[in-house]
Amino acid sequence: MLLQFPGPAPNEVDLTPTYDAVVVGSGAAGGMAAYVLTAHGFKVLLLEAGKYQDTGKILHSMEWPYDHPRRGRMPSDHHAITLNEYNVRELPYAQNTPYNKVQSYVQGWSGTDYSKTLVVDEKQNPYTGTRYAWVRARAVGGKTNIWGRLALRLSDYDFKAKDRDGYGENWPISYADIEPYYDKVDLYLGISGHPENLPYLPDSKFQRPVRLNASEMHLRETLKGMDRVLTPYRAGVTTDGLKHNKYRSRCFGRGACDRHVGGCDIHAAFDSPTGLIRPAWDTGNLTMRTNATVYEVTVDKDSGKATGVSFLDSETKKSYQAKAKSVIMAASTLESARLLLLSKSSLYPNGIGNSSGHVGHNFCEHMMGPSVSGLMKELVGKPKTNDDGRPGGFYVPRFRNLEGKKSEFLRGYGFEGSSGTTMLPSTAYATPGFGEEFKKHVREYAGAVIDMGAFGEVLPRYENYVEIDPNVKDAWGIPVLRFSYKFGENEQKMAKDMAVAGREMFEAAKFEILSSSNEMLPEGWSIHELGTARMGTDPKTSVVNQFQQCHDVKNLLVVDGSTHVNASCQNPTWTIMALCWRSCDHLADQLRKGEV
Amino acid sequence: MSTPLDRRDLLKLMTASAFAAMPLQLTAAGTAKLYFTADEFELLDVLTEHIIPRDKHSPGAHDAEVAAYIDRMVAEAFLPEDKQSWNTGLAEINRLSMENHKRPFVKAGKSEQIGLLKKLAKAEDDPQTEGEKFFKQLKGATIFGYYTTDIGIHKDIEYKGNVIQEQFSGYEAN
Repeated sequence: MLLQFPGPAPNEVDLTPTYDAVVVGSGAAGGMAAYVLTAHGFKVLLLEAGKYQDTGKILHSMEWPYDHPRRGRMPSDHHAITLNEYNVRELPYAQNTPYNKVQSYVQGWSGTDYSKTLVVDEKQNPYTGTRYAWVRARAVGGKTNIWGRLALRLSDYDFKAKDRDGYGENWPISYADIEPYYDKVDLYLGISGHPENLPYLPDSKFQRPVRLNASEMHLRETLKGMDRVLTPYRAGVTTDGLKHNKYRSRCFGRGACDRHVGGCDIHAAFDSPTGLIRPAWDTGNLTMRTNATVYEVTVDKDSGKATGVSFLDSETKKSYQAKAKSVIMAASTLESARLLLLSKSSLYPNGIGNSSGHVGHNFCEHMMGPSVSGLMKELVGKPKTNDDGRPGGFYVPRFRNLEGKKSEFLRGYGFEGSSGTTMLPSTAYATPGFGEEFKKHVREYAGAVIDMGAFGEVLPRYENYVEIDPNVKDAWGIPVLRFSYKFGENEQKMAKDMAVAGREMFEAAKFEILSSSNEMLPEGWSIHELGTARMGTDPKTSVVNQFQQCHDVKNLLVVDGSTHVNASCQNPTWTIMALCWRSCDHLADQLRKGEV
Repeated sequence: MSTPLDRRDLLKLMTASAFAAMPLQLTAAGTAKLYFTADEFELLDVLTEHIIPRDKHSPGAHDAEVAAYIDRMVAEAFLPEDKQSWNTGLAEINRLSMENHKRPFVKAGKSEQIGLLKKLAKAEDDPQTEGEKFFKQLKGATIFGYYTTDIGIHKDIEYKGNVIQEQFSGYEAN
């Protein structure tokens, strides 16, 4: 059983050959690189800092809370950082806390048991500088094990945004370049959605869409009159099944996706381990080394090319070398930037691939927080319907700064929302009082509430950056990142507009507004960090070319979100994978021709 | 001439004392107490049932064994202060009851019990006193403890999800 997944014990992986490619990180980008290159017949070594964890066994997605000893909460010596702590604590967040294990907020407000082994321990993985809610997963598949599933395309409104408003840089590609790769990703991984024919949010090759409940249908109709759109959640979930992938079931509408902090134990929702890595494994061309904490890209002094990477075994801390013809960074936007900056040598004194000085800079993401919560009064006291048995609710695409009238801020935002009854009635905590009246109120209002929250584009700015902290090291002795990152005036103005526009849409639908907020959540909250090794045509102002190869070192690729030139306001995962596929096709061509 | 109390007032008073004579006392569920004393547990059980009581529609916190859930969570709490806040909070409820009604909370009449909690609940958006802060803590724990049970999810809320569906429920976008 040579091919039994996940293969031999980590320290038995053969590091003597020179692989065609070594891939650092196994999330959406790393999984895609491994899949595309092994499918082309190349020998790939995939390195992952965490362990392989079978999410089919740990997520327990259909378990009722009362069947879990702590009703789904983490052990009491574990602690998930709260919103308040992000606001008041000095970094590193886990310093001076008594808990044995400290994790980021993605563990839920009170900490959720199911993903506690997927998300890093902040005590082992500190960082310094300005406030930032940095969510990291170290496990095979990375954050795709727990992602939010919204799978959107970018358009030329994003790729050529500079042409439209003069700000920042254009991408070195246009929609026409990436469209065939979006199609490939859609068909290979499966995506659920409803076509809307919008030039600024192109349709995908959709499978069966989710359905909308009464209040969502009503809001959809209302928004048509405002020249806005409410579309069923575009989920990176196979709702009709995939004949070519035996590891993934189609979605059965159990709605477990959010209750257990994302993650799908039947793998209807895309995750890298079953969507990409296992198919790569089955080619016989993939070697996977888990517990491999990479700390440096190694270089040939004569040619200047990358020769491989150095890594530590995450448990024994013993050092190893991996050799390859090409090195592919897919460690996540911030970890990839960190590794480039850490890889200093006489040839590359500012870090490999960083002659431009742009590595770590132009850091951007999505700002969130502004939201609105409303009530469709007609639904109060009505019989309950199954409202959360689907991989997502709805999406309201961007409507600002498209054509015609310009806002006081640049770029735009979209809303994600949902409505109806959830397993834990969200309104209970905000319902005043106690007793029979309280109980009746919670029960009758549980199905009538509709919420939506905005995700807005944070402008890329050179002044927003990460760098290596000269003093602080992580548990493996590797220097950590120091953040210099803050939202600016454009984001402040956008946040105000989000709250106003959210209320305006609910008022137009005659929903009773229960609450609304224009407060921005801390930086990092969207878990959509981007931009720290951006693409471009000019080696002086960008790090990689349109095929994600470093301008300085052609056999070094960066294929994760760090290469995005701007954040757009659409969620990045699908674009990360489409770009990576395109770049790896190009790399495969060069490997075949011996040009790398 | 007027008597200190006319009939209407007298009737009101009698009804009130009739209520007061029937304290809400509940037999605690059979589970062994992991952290609280028997008296504390009884008080907690009565308090949680006041927050989410049995009504015509569904059983309340007592039947859902919310006190036993809180007992377990407090027993397992990692920080000493997270345990202590429950002891001091429960003691504060009894102190307020003694002060106002000369009886510990579980011995006070139902309307006295509710009256005391109503005073504390008034400040739930911005609790200041020990008692007000404890009410908020108690209410939060009771909400989570109740709505994560079989009774809370199925009998009270009548949640329809977490089932396998061939087709999503709802309406097709047109």
